Amino acid sequence: MSDISLTDGTLTAVAIRPDIKRATPELWGVAWRNITRTKRRTWLTACGIAFAILMMTFVRSLQVGAFIGAVDNSARIMLGHIQLQHPVYEDDPAIENSIHGINDIIADVESRPGVEIVSARAQSFALTSSGERSFGAQIIGVQYEKEAVWSSLTRMQVDGRYIEGPGEAFIGSALARNLGITIGDELVILGTAVEGGVAALVADVVGTYTSGQPELDRAIVQVPLQDFQVAWTLAPDEAHTVIVIAESVADSEELAPQLGRAGLRSLNWRDLQPEMVQMMEMKLIGTYVLFILVAIIVIFSVVNSFMMIIFERTPEFGMLMAVGMRPHHIIIQLQIEALLVCILGIILGLGITAVGVGILSETGIALPAQAGELLKSMAMPERMYPVFSFGALFIAVPVMVLGTQLAALIPGLRLRHMHAVDALRSAE
Amino acid sequence: MNDVVVTVRGATRTYNEETIPVHALRGVDLEVHRGDFISLAGPSGSGKSTLLNLIGGLDQADEGDVIVDQVSLSELNENQLSDLRLEKIGFVFQAYNLLPVLTAEENVGFVMQLQGMSKTERSERARETLASVGLEDLADRRPGDMSGGQQQRVAIARAIATKPVLLLADEPSANLDSGTTEELLQLLKKLNEEFGMTIVTATHDPMVMAYTSRKINLRDGAIVVST
Amino acid sequence: MPITLLAQLSLRNIVRHRRRNLMLLMAIAVAVLTVLMANTVIRGMQYDLREQTVSNLNGHIKVHAPGYLDDPSIARGFELAAGWEPKINVSEVEGWAARIRIPAVIMSERETRGIQFVGIDPAQESISFLSKAHYDGQPLNTSSDRRIIIGKEMADQLETQVGRRLVIITQGSDGLNREAGFRIAGVYDTEGTAIEKIFVFTGVTALQNMVDAIVVTEVSVRLVDDAFQLSMLDSLLRFFADLEVKTWQQLEPLAAAFFLFAESAIYLYFFIIMTALIFGLVNTLVTSVMERVHELGMLRAVGMRPGAVVMQVVIESTFIMMIGVALGLTLGWLIFQLLPPVLDLSSFSEGFEKFGMPAKIHLRLHVSDMVLITVMSMVFGVLASLYPAKRAVKISPLEALRL
Ligand SMILES: Nc1ncnc2c1ncn2[C@@H]1O[C@H](COP(=O)(O)OP(=O)(O)OP(=O)(O)O)[C@@H](O)[C@H]1O
Ligand SMILES: [Mg+2]
Repeated sequence: MSDISLTDGTLTAVAIRPDIKRATPELWGVAWRNITRTKRRTWLTACGIAFAILMMTFVRSLQVGAFIGAVDNSARIMLGHIQLQHPVYEDDPAIENSIHGINDIIADVESRPGVEIVSARAQSFALTSSGERSFGAQIIGVQYEKEAVWSSLTRMQVDGRYIEGPGEAFIGSALARNLGITIGDELVILGTAVEGGVAALVADVVGTYTSGQPELDRAIVQVPLQDFQVAWTLAPDEAHTVIVIAESVADSEELAPQLGRAGLRSLNWRDLQPEMVQMMEMKLIGTYVLFILVAIIVIFSVVNSFMMIIFERTPEFGMLMAVGMRPHHIIIQLQIEALLVCILGIILGLGITAVGVGILSETGIALPAQAGELLKSMAMPERMYPVFSFGALFIAVPVMVLGTQLAALIPGLRLRHMHAVDALRSAE
Repeated sequence: MNDVVVTVRGATRTYNEETIPVHALRGVDLEVHRGDFISLAGPSGSGKSTLLNLIGGLDQADEGDVIVDQVSLSELNENQLSDLRLEKIGFVFQAYNLLPVLTAEENVGFVMQLQGMSKTERSERARETLASVGLEDLADRRPGDMSGGQQQRVAIARAIATKPVLLLADEPSANLDSGTTEELLQLLKKLNEEFGMTIVTATHDPMVMAYTSRKINLRDGAIVVST
Repeated sequence: MPITLLAQLSLRNIVRHRRRNLMLLMAIAVAVLTVLMANTVIRGMQYDLREQTVSNLNGHIKVHAPGYLDDPSIARGFELAAGWEPKINVSEVEGWAARIRIPAVIMSERETRGIQFVGIDPAQESISFLSKAHYDGQPLNTSSDRRIIIGKEMADQLETQVGRRLVIITQGSDGLNREAGFRIAGVYDTEGTAIEKIFVFTGVTALQNMVDAIVVTEVSVRLVDDAFQLSMLDSLLRFFADLEVKTWQQLEPLAAAFFLFAESAIYLYFFIIMTALIFGLVNTLVTSVMERVHELGMLRAVGMRPGAVVMQVVIESTFIMMIGVALGLTLGWLIFQLLPPVLDLSSFSEGFEKFGMPAKIHLRLHVSDMVLITVMSMVFGVLASLYPAKRAVKISPLEALRL
């Protein structure tokens, strides 16, 4: 064995100290020398560990980034980050389950930090018709000056323009097509008002939108909130939801629980976009499974690597034992080496993730144009910004540390029963 | 037919040119004739191994020329040098002669295998050659299970099995006791006398020198005595 | 080059270090197993999606009147003679179905919803999901059945049930709205809820009577195998020359995009997993080369060409890969046999049904994918041996023998 010097002074120094506590600091130093002695192997092993860490933390950072981007994007199309509603409105969206005093509520919420804009909506299902054709649609009374500011639906492939005054309507393009309506045509809306009365409304269609999401394009009509309140006989400060747009998804998390009170239920984005939460959980499970498998593969290679180390160094161990080192000292020595290699891998993996995420969270990642339709249907924004995932870090790092310790121990345990003479003889 | 197997002309070899130059050879001229049995002697570091390596095409001379079987080695590329060694030269080194994963017979046979010889012919020739070095009983053993002398005899069998033009041996007896050395030398002498094999061996051992027909002495990278 | 010698040497060196190579083999087997399992799930989802898209009334190919897709009204219907089914590529066809499909509004005492109202001949619907759905109540009997069947989700939304009557309003052929009451014959339940929310079915003749037109709006064909799609498309384009003939890929570009995306997902998994593996593989190979410096040096000295030394490392790498891959594939195949054919995720995550995602995956193991994995793994094995091989040719016989 060319690269092994049997007369390494430090090693001998360790060997003559039976007391492991006193010997520990030297074990660390020797471990470091040993892993730097076989640089190529150390790097390859560390790279494997780094890859597992990188895969987990980087992929999760991308996923969390994509997820927050999609949630925010979705919120800014129509849903808002937070919705305030009558406590039973979600389960029973009846016209009566409304909230009163919306102007005070809006004023209160808008004054809070982290809030960008707040607007109110009233809504009900109704029959819309034009000429001889009729279709059912969700009629939404909106504060159009405000919606024009935040709702990206008002800017999505619009033909014509968004609502600018009373008596106007803004409808989905698929609905317009089904009704055979073009811009400037009249839309007749017939619904059921409070206490079973008839709600009737005639509006000029001033614009149509195409969001790419069939539910939105096929069955939604926006009209001014006042028009809605009059037609459905609601009070001037009565509506069904107060939509809160926060400065960020993170802000909305903090805000949502503060806004609920007796008679006013606060729904956060998790309530509003449950399919998004579901999708994220599935992704999370998928990534964990993949990580565990990658980790297993890497740990197998670490076992392999320690088998090679032990094979090569058996004569050296024989010499150490001959001069008085005990087998468990050698095992501890190897465990420390495994820990050092693992730390190297962790630093490398986390370093690449941190730098990568750091840069990409500034520049963003442009999503491929070919995937446009697909992404639009999933409400993905055009650029996504990764967000460093500490959750992934707290799982990946302990798994890899424990895994490599185990990996070193498996072949190391054989050394317990090794005798100096046999070990020395294996040099030939 | 030309009976000069090797011609070395003005060969020099200097190691560590950039740092502290070591002049291993300082201009060596030598002719080896067919049927020669030569010993290269001289103190340690005098350039014996270097000269053997130049002749075997393992190393290239800085100046001068080495011609083996009418081919100038400086004109050959790596593959051609490999082929030359494979076809014309047999090597016996001081150590690391054998592959630990192969049996004695396979070790003798693999060079023939490299040459593309058929399995039956190879096996037959390997057993024959092992018998000629007195190891017919150990054909199926691996090197790990043989003594140093036995291993060295397998190495010679491997080197001669292909009937090379030239056999180069670098201190083949270094790890052997005098009895075993005696046997080895008898074997080489027999090969030289009966088959006319040309042999060049580097050695410190007076016993070896006594057996050879030509004796060359090196000192500081130059030939001082040649018979 | 004496390949047999090289193979022999490689194999013996692998056996010589069997303990550590066993670790490596296990890592490769786990990697291959992982890729294979991921593959069966992805392939399952991919083919399920196609099956779903095809059986969601699309068929493999569908025929409409021009303009119907932009303006899906009865005015865009077309007439079919009796015995209209084209007698083309008969052996490739599983079945034909002609339908009317028009937008409508459905009303219960409590709720109103927009729907797609579909008139069918129940005998022809063996080609669509209707033949596989679970029914509460009964399916439709004949094409003149005047009752309707609605989706489970729709029944929940309308707060109605089998036997009740619902009012449906739709536009007749004269452009005027018709309103009629229909009794619910059955409530169908499918995987996911997306369909259940939209489609309401009745007999096609019943619907023709309601809208006053003896026409259909679509003809869809289901083929025995997807491979026949192109030739069928070609024939149909000629047969229905004045109509619009479209494949399911054209009708559902999103599903088609996912179908294609799944193809690259398979490669993605392969590369992630194999990257995890390559460090260990290179590590072992380099060690194997470094341990044999003297041997390789001697081999060079006695006349082995540098190329043969490279080959030796490459062969060793491919050998290890081959054994590992064989192990992984066999294990994967066995596990696949033991797994239930349908992976049911609904117990895992109750949300699937709610959001219209299918909770069941029909696992699929394609022999062609196993071949692909094998070939790609071999390529990977060769790539992994490049660096160690480069290291091996650098060994000079001179130095190797001096040590
Ligand atoms: N690769 C090398 N790098 C540097 N110096 C070398 C190298 N090979 C040989 N030398 C030097 O060249 C000189 C001649 O070496 P060589 O091995 O030929 O001597 P030798 O006569 O065979 O000695 P010995 O009897 O000890 O084997 C020595 O001084 C040696 O140190
Ligand atoms: Mg020498």
